[in-house]
Amino acid sequence: MRYYWLVSFFTLLTSACSTASPEQAQVDAPIHIRWARDPVSLDPLALPNPSAIDAVSLLHLSLLPIDYQTDRYSACLAERLPEVRLVGDSITHIEYRLRPAAKWDNGQPVLATDVDFTLKLMQCPGLPNEMARAQFGFIRQVLLDPTDPRHFTLVCRGQAVEMINTSGDFPILSESALDTQRTLRALPLAFLQDWPAGKAPLPPVAALVHRYQSANIARTPGKLPGCGPYRLVEWEHNRHMLFSRKAAWWADSLRAAPFVLQAKPRYLDYLVVPDDAAAMLALRRHELDVFPNVPARVFQQLQASADARRELAFYTEPSYDVVVVGFNTARATLRNKLTRQALSRLLDPAGLLSATQLGQGSLTVGLLPPTSPFYNDSLAALTYAPAEAQALLGRAGWQRQPDGSWHQPGSPEPLALALRYRADESTFATIALQFRAAAAKLGIAVTLLPTEAGTLSMALKAGDFDVCVRTLKGSPFGLNFSIFFHSKAIGTSNFTRFGQPAADRLLEAVEVEGHDPRKRRLLCSFQALVRDEMPLVPLFFLTNRLATTKQLRHVITSGLKPGYAAQALTWARADSLAVRPTPSR
Amino acid sequence: MNLVRRPRSLAVAHWLAIGWLGLVLATGLLAPWLPLPYPAATPDLLHIAAPPTPPHYFGTDALGRDVLAGLVAGARRLVVLSLPAVGLATVVGMAAGSAAGFWGNSRLRIPVALVAWLLAAGYWLAALPARTGITGCLLLIGAASSFFAWWRTRTTGPGTGPTLAVPLDSLILGTTAVLGAIPRLILLVALAAGPPLSPTQLLGLLTLVAWPETARLVRAHMLRVRVQPFIEAAQASGLPEWRVWLRHALPHACQPLYAFVPLSLAGLVGLENALAFLGIGQAPDSVSWGSLLTTIRQDPTAWWVATMPGLALLCTLLALQQVAEILKRPLILK
Amino acid sequence: MRQWLLVRLGRAVVAAWGIASLVFLVSRVLPVSPEQLALIEMEDLSRQIGPATSNEVAASQQAVRQRLGLAAPLFYATRTTGPAGEWHWHGLHNQYHEWLSQVVRGNLGKSYLDGQPVTALLGQALAYSVPLAAGAASLATTLALALALYLARGSGSAGRTLVQASLATLQVVPLFLLALILLLLLANPAVINLMPLASHGPAPNLLVAAGRWAVRAALPLLSLVLAVLPALTLPLVASLRQESSTPYATTARAKGLPLGRVLRRHLLPNALLPLFTTLTDLLPTLVAGTVVVEVVFALPGSGRLLAEAAAAHDYPVVVAGVLLLAGVRLLSLIAADILYFLADPRLRPAT
Repeated sequence: MRYYWLVSFFTLLTSACSTASPEQAQVDAPIHIRWARDPVSLDPLALPNPSAIDAVSLLHLSLLPIDYQTDRYSACLAERLPEVRLVGDSITHIEYRLRPAAKWDNGQPVLATDVDFTLKLMQCPGLPNEMARAQFGFIRQVLLDPTDPRHFTLVCRGQAVEMINTSGDFPILSESALDTQRTLRALPLAFLQDWPAGKAPLPPVAALVHRYQSANIARTPGKLPGCGPYRLVEWEHNRHMLFSRKAAWWADSLRAAPFVLQAKPRYLDYLVVPDDAAAMLALRRHELDVFPNVPARVFQQLQASADARRELAFYTEPSYDVVVVGFNTARATLRNKLTRQALSRLLDPAGLLSATQLGQGSLTVGLLPPTSPFYNDSLAALTYAPAEAQALLGRAGWQRQPDGSWHQPGSPEPLALALRYRADESTFATIALQFRAAAAKLGIAVTLLPTEAGTLSMALKAGDFDVCVRTLKGSPFGLNFSIFFHSKAIGTSNFTRFGQPAADRLLEAVEVEGHDPRKRRLLCSFQALVRDEMPLVPLFFLTNRLATTKQLRHVITSGLKPGYAAQALTWARADSLAVRPTPSR
Repeated sequence: MNLVRRPRSLAVAHWLAIGWLGLVLATGLLAPWLPLPYPAATPDLLHIAAPPTPPHYFGTDALGRDVLAGLVAGARRLVVLSLPAVGLATVVGMAAGSAAGFWGNSRLRIPVALVAWLLAAGYWLAALPARTGITGCLLLIGAASSFFAWWRTRTTGPGTGPTLAVPLDSLILGTTAVLGAIPRLILLVALAAGPPLSPTQLLGLLTLVAWPETARLVRAHMLRVRVQPFIEAAQASGLPEWRVWLRHALPHACQPLYAFVPLSLAGLVGLENALAFLGIGQAPDSVSWGSLLTTIRQDPTAWWVATMPGLALLCTLLALQQVAEILKRPLILK
Repeated sequence: MRQWLLVRLGRAVVAAWGIASLVFLVSRVLPVSPEQLALIEMEDLSRQIGPATSNEVAASQQAVRQRLGLAAPLFYATRTTGPAGEWHWHGLHNQYHEWLSQVVRGNLGKSYLDGQPVTALLGQALAYSVPLAAGAASLATTLALALALYLARGSGSAGRTLVQASLATLQVVPLFLLALILLLLLANPAVINLMPLASHGPAPNLLVAAGRWAVRAALPLLSLVLAVLPALTLPLVASLRQESSTPYATTARAKGLPLGRVLRRHLLPNALLPLFTTLTDLLPTLVAGTVVVEVVFALPGSGRLLAEAAAAHDYPVVVAGVLLLAGVRLLSLIAADILYFLADPRLRPAT
């Protein structure tokens, strides 16, 4: 009995001490974000799927990542944007200086030798770095500065403007974690790049590859620590991944940290939910806080429910992905541009936008979004015009037979097309069906061939199709139409097999043009060329949709994947819940 | 002695079963000409997961496909895929099992000359190394054996020359053991790690996994039929072996198949729909009851998507079980 | 006896090797190759500057092929395609020999997707599936024995007819339909939800881990048991009924023993024999069933691993899975024969 007062006194004391914790617990609560797939590997060289890219961007930093607030590249590990010097007519020098404050977890500074080591690691055979090798193969040499260990120059082959941004877009890895003996320093980068494919690698390279493989970085990223703000705490495969903010991160000491060097959430918990319906349910039950890339129908369902509107905030942002219908210009039936123009009049972009995206998206006349400064608004929008299609077919030399089919004079083959599209997307299926119905009215037989993703990609590369419906991924800075239209790329990414000398010259001029008004003129004339030749018909741009719980602040959305900035999210404080959040746009 | 099945009055359940199977068969055969209110396998994006209302009398699934059209497409797939597969599997199983049971391991003998010629043809077609040389040698061996056989017939009387025994029983039993070692679903899942299968390829695969059971059943029965006196009598009357096997032994060895074939069909229908459910080896736009049932997981509140195809599948399988019951009733000797 | 066992084991090993080799060779000659798939997905994600020429793409593909071990020739001797094809001898340096020598040493290769050793992946997945299958088998056996004893006591009562009819109906229902019905009825947020969204975090001790596993595996276990039960019960009931008309059973009843005791102590041991073959025959059904229930209920087991690897063209996992299953099946056949030996001396082969 006498201890009763003592016990109650201590209980009161401890409960008084913990009155501050509910709010603190709220601020420290993990933010649950949905992933559609498990990031199968956390290897910074491999990056096999979007979830892995998200995860690696939390663990490692690069020189110039994307700032999702402005959709531009911004200096992260680099002190400022690089200086560019053109040397001759085929070399570019890109000069960087690393931030003095940048440090690895063990206190060592991030130096130019680390950048050199990362680039050399991309060339080692036996590591899953084939994509990185192809992407950064244009960097031929790293010139180190003997006076300043943080200053270096990248010597790049070619003079494309886009190279400047891409040259800083890879995670920097630590040399001291894998190569303490500095064995790779003696080997120049170009030497490793030009090593013949089948030949056995040099002993230091082989030893490094062996160390890398035995570290199993894909599953245990802790063996190769990065200088990013987060640390992997827990990974339950196909279920969830938990990151925690490092307590002492070097960028915390910066006085004016740019947006890309801010990391506010204490814990980030990514949940793998492959099913969209299950993700919607989890969002409603408060098991998920952020649902990125919401499909159009789910978004509409959520917005229609009053309960959901009370608890969730909705954001939409135009993306840079465009749905196009492409023609195989190498086929005899489609060689004439008038035939292709005629077929383009059989599509109904406005109707398809409302049917497939429920109105969310933007129509376009070229491969650029209407908001882009290079958009050619003098081109007329395409509409469904069967009479015009018929006239154009006549002008192209097709003659309509009594049975309704179209024939070229002297050829028994009627105009019949095979349409390929990716099988598991209902958007493409609807577009294909609309095209087939419109063509049937005109007497053109269209066979639909829904194909699975791997086979489709190979069929497109081999030219095994007449018409195809697909999505082209774009970006605000990479106006690299040469991937889709240059004759060099026929057989790889130029699936329409469109290649004309005039277009090639125009594309090469755009690549090296840095002056915006001149670039606008070149791109406008290129868009007019594409409209005239019609190797593909751009239908509409897609939107990025995001749904979050209303208690999250600083939700920065962007048109680029993943569509939000995870490092800027913060919880609203308990007493400021009355403040209205940013309304959906 | 005639073996006659006296028709007994069938119960109501039996009539219902026969009626349902007839309906499914008719729908499957007439599917391309049926006037459906909405075409099959076309997504109607304005009516995603719509409850049963006109024009979608049975509703639509989570991708916007009409459920009624899907049911008809499933019936067609059954008639076009599972029925021929069962037929082929029965024929192959009958032939293989009865041959294995009838001739065993040592009773089937083929002349050496024939073996030599077959090997020569095979070697030539396979274009193996030293084609002309080895084929020539084999042809020579074949010619020598047939000459030897003809010489022996001329001197010592009728009879064949040197012969080789074909271990038919071991071969067929071994093949059935290997094919039966992996569960059928796993085998098909493993083979699906490739390009989507065309309907013919799928038909071939289903036949491949279905014939071993039939063969084992027929073989077991044939082992009992072979020692019956009437077979001995047929052999003694001078009929050639293959005729005894085909006209006398085979019909009796296939007795247990009457009741087995409906169950085998039920198993194949279940397997094919399970594959469609898992999404394995299907052309992306082919619709069947199993693929309709897959979409229920995307929208659990759409009960019409699960009940209609599920009921269709269940009724078909139950009806097949009833038919097996009817056929299992013993023969009446008259 | 020992010789017989060795012969059977030898045959089983040969059969398993044959099947796995077949799947290995078939998977390698398919037109969709893993290196192209790996690169296709990453192409969508990377921001390429400038078009990649065919040479560069071919170089990347060759690099991936070398890393995955697909650059060597396929078999000891291959034939170049075309009507005038010639056979080339490659000796021991080929993919098949490499794979076989690794398998004999116990190394089942590395997955194409993430480079993890296949043995580790299979081990993790089997830790989920083996308890599921074993639990289903034992539960089904006990339930079958109890139900058979109940049904064999008499016939004609409403309860018994109902149970027998429902068992007959269950026998034709395919497993995926059964699992789906259970999912829609019992794990449906709109109706009742017995399966909560899983809690994550490492389990503090074994008991909690077992408890979590039990909650997640309850519905899959139920569907597996219901699928396998009729095939075990109905033949046992028929066998028991047949045994109860034998003279020794009549003698036992005439001596005044209660029916239940007669059934349990005298009839059941004799009627049990066919149950062994039925049980080992049902093992492949159970294994195939785990694939379906794991996909339906989203459990991280070996069945789902196999189905997802097949869909993603991850051939090392598929081949290893097939090898494992074939081995299990063949061993179970031998186990059935051993059980027969121990149970009935009349069935032992003449040695």
